[in-house]
Amino acid sequence: MIKSKVLIIDDEVEFASTLCQRLKLRGIAAIDMFSGTEGLKNLVKINPGIVILDLKMPDMSGLDVLEKIKEHDPSIEVIMLTGHGSSGSGAEAKRKGAFAYAMKPLDITELIDTIQSADNKRNKA
Amino acid sequence: MNALTENSIRQEQIESFGRLMAGFAHDMKNHLGIIRESNGLMGDILEMGSLCEDAKVVERLQKSIAAIERRVAISADILHHLSGLAHRPDTTCSSFLINELIEEEYAFLERFSRLKQIDVGWELGEGLPAIYNDPSLLQHVLYRIYCQCLELMDSVQSLTIITEQEGQNIVIAFRFPGVCPTDCSKLFNEPLLAAIEKLDGKLKIDDREKNTIEIRLAISSLPVNDAP
Repeated sequence: MIKSKVLIIDDEVEFASTLCQRLKLRGIAAIDMFSGTEGLKNLVKINPGIVILDLKMPDMSGLDVLEKIKEHDPSIEVIMLTGHGSSGSGAEAKRKGAFAYAMKPLDITELIDTIQSADNKRNKA
Repeated sequence: MNALTENSIRQEQIESFGRLMAGFAHDMKNHLGIIRESNGLMGDILEMGSLCEDAKVVERLQKSIAAIERRVAISADILHHLSGLAHRPDTTCSSFLINELIEEEYAFLERFSRLKQIDVGWELGEGLPAIYNDPSLLQHVLYRIYCQCLELMDSVQSLTIITEQEGQNIVIAFRFPGVCPTDCSKLFNEPLLAAIEKLDGKLKIDDREKNTIEIRLAISSLPVNDAP
């Protein structure tokens, strides 16, 4: 069972909202936001344990959002979403403190496993 | 216009193509992401039994959802390889594994052999060391050799792609039925030879076995200072 609240930040509205519904159907408390700015602005109010964050967004880069989230609360686990085949950007995200990265299009089973691992890590801490 | 300027223009053109391809692959992955999530959501709702109670309709919908998912997976795999291919020219030289490089390119080469009904087999050496060279240029050379092989082959024949270590070199070999050597001289045109020279590679045709041609390209690591 996943206890942490999951915040999805992705400028692709259809993607974020559909993924959010799929997580909710699996009993996960999920909320979607459609820009880095909006996500950061609502971070205190939402108080997520896990953030699923797109790397490339028009308003600000996912890596910048990641840094701000970690500044705000280092215990929030961030799963970066990347559309790139090369793992370079994913590796950079991990260096900056991301828990993991996943490539679009997502495999829902793998994503749930990653969310579960992030949740376990938070619960142990 | 001098040769240097022409080369610079060509280089920039290749970089532009690479960036355009990479951008295209990225956008397509986003679209596929939405298709997969939407399709998955339909599957989720169907599985929960709240959408339809007619078992036949449910079965038909499930088949359609599974078919969409299969095609998304295939497309995602192709786009993953396209991203890799498009990002190769980002750096002139890098360390890479030959088998990964070939598999990445083969996602696109497969189409040509399929259209000619040529069966492609693999004998990829295990544990081959990474080499430091120009991966994008090597993919260009392999593409040319592969297409030449198909030109020389008849339909319904088999082409085997082999990788192996030979001393300090990694050899990529293309083996197919045929008689050496006259037609194979087509391979040795000037631009291809120049590209192979730039990679510090060696190309040769082996006809040790009866009625079998083996085109062998030997590549090794370049010293860092000699990188093209």
